[in-house]
Amino acid sequence: MTATRSIRRRLPRSDWLTVALALGGLLLLYYLAPLVSLFLSAPPGAVAASLTEATVVNAATTSVVAATCSTLLGTAFGLPLAYWLARADTRWTDAVLAAVVLPLVLPPTVGGVVLLTVVGPNTLLGDVAAAAGLPLTRSLAGVVLAQTFVASPFVVVTAKAAFESVDRALEHASRSLGKGRLTTVRRITLPLAAPGVLAGVTLAFARAMGEFGATMMLAYYPRTMPVQIWVSFVSLGLDAAYPVAIVLVVVSALALLVLDTVASNPWR
Amino acid sequence: MTGGLRLDGLTKRYGRFELGPMDLAVDDEVVTVLGPSGCGKTTLLSLIAGTVPADAGSLTLDGRSLDGRPPEDRGVGLVFQDGALFPHLTARENVAYAATAAARVEDLAATLEIRDLLDRRPAALSGGEAQRVALARTLAANPDALLLDEPLSSLDTPIRRRLRDELHDLFGALDVPVLYVTHDQRSATVLGDRIAVLRDGAVEQVGTPDAVLGRPESEFVARFTGCENVFEGTVVEDGVRVGGVTLPAVTDRAVGTAVTACLRPSRVRLDPADGDDGLVGPVRRRLNEGDGWRVVVHLEGVDLVATVPPAVGRSLDPGDPVRVSVDHVHLL
Repeated sequence: MTATRSIRRRLPRSDWLTVALALGGLLLLYYLAPLVSLFLSAPPGAVAASLTEATVVNAATTSVVAATCSTLLGTAFGLPLAYWLARADTRWTDAVLAAVVLPLVLPPTVGGVVLLTVVGPNTLLGDVAAAAGLPLTRSLAGVVLAQTFVASPFVVVTAKAAFESVDRALEHASRSLGKGRLTTVRRITLPLAAPGVLAGVTLAFARAMGEFGATMMLAYYPRTMPVQIWVSFVSLGLDAAYPVAIVLVVVSALALLVLDTVASNPWR
Repeated sequence: MTGGLRLDGLTKRYGRFELGPMDLAVDDEVVTVLGPSGCGKTTLLSLIAGTVPADAGSLTLDGRSLDGRPPEDRGVGLVFQDGALFPHLTARENVAYAATAAARVEDLAATLEIRDLLDRRPAALSGGEAQRVALARTLAANPDALLLDEPLSSLDTPIRRRLRDELHDLFGALDVPVLYVTHDQRSATVLGDRIAVLRDGAVEQVGTPDAVLGRPESEFVARFTGCENVFEGTVVEDGVRVGGVTLPAVTDRAVGTAVTACLRPSRVRLDPADGDDGLVGPVRRRLNEGDGWRVVVHLEGVDLVATVPPAVGRSLDPGDPVRVSVDHVHLL
């Protein structure tokens, strides 16, 4: 107690801020230095040239198509779940939320293993789908499944918070004005929750683009960008991994930009 | 089957709190539900609007059952305490949200004097303006019954008074049952054709404002409707013996019966005392309340509160002897 008091006397409040910034600054440096280093390590000309290589183009196409599909899937099924979680008055919501968050905390490779037990070769679902011409492993569908598993919780968790932030009285008002639940959600809840929902969708897309562990387990082919980075690194060395890594960094930065834009809620 | 809004044994339990079983009939009139915070006023409206399901009992509106119907299918309009305007829509869009025709928006905008506000977002409206828009929005849906949940409670006094008076006129022009919830006795009296006093989830008394204020049936109703003088006493030949004084009362109860007597401060008259005859006592305290003065007079064993005109209040000083005149006290 006495020691704390004497330190407080010696250090004005602003000095503590300086110390905090110095400590945090080291961490910040740790975040940014590798990124700067990455851009410096790969000459722009070499990156531009490699961007047209078939492997890079194919990986980028697979990633974008699969991430778009998995984000759409996660949104289509995740928003109703998020709304239910936000509005249901039942004690089951905690358990359901735990199930939603599980893929977030599960190591992605374990997620891949778990998925393989359901959709992998020699499983009922896997065999039926393969027989129908839609193999769920070593296929774009496999990539989408892996990405949806790890990325869709971002939609659910973020949209749930966004729905919860919409005053229930507004929904009650809408319904007492003669509008059904669906119209109320479409015209009142969703527009008001839109910034949060879009943030969740963007986070899910960014996570899907970066998905590696579960994808490796389910669909090594067709290669996504993270898989291509790994393959290039182990077969050709670090230099070969740079171009695709830079593309992914740019995609992530764009996602961040979208997040910052949609997070500015004009009604807050 | 009769028309209007009918509540029969309506019940809702929240943990240890229970609303009802409540029976209430509201014809094409204004019933103000008066009660303190937490007595179940808002729950009552939620049950009728259908945003909260009832545990038991039934509800009918103009002869049709509302039981089990979703809120959008009840024809019950609800005005919220803070307006609950949709913040992403302009005032016009809020009103049009429920309106079946654009002309209806213009009509209501004219009636409620919100034409100049129509292009504003709710964030740019004052509390009173927002309530006008909220009211227009609710009326735009042509409800068969109108519920209002303390719509004036968050407004400043002058705006509250003006809007309250306008609501009085507006309700007069409506021919639907109106249930108006408030904790403010004055709003309840001004707006209500009848007042239902709610206490701990149960209706304590229903009646015209004059009946409820003038002849409260319980100490709670008496105190909550502004009857500050409530005494325990005994019936005597010429009134009620309270402390060391006898207050006039009209009663057929037997002499010696223990009773609770109440007397509104506005029914107490004070005059300068020129002798010791009658009810005379010193002024204990006097407070300027603007429109009038609140004076506490000490009689033998009793402190009596009176509200008197400013001229009377100003002329009295603490310690001055005054003569108290009371027509008669009301016995609970």
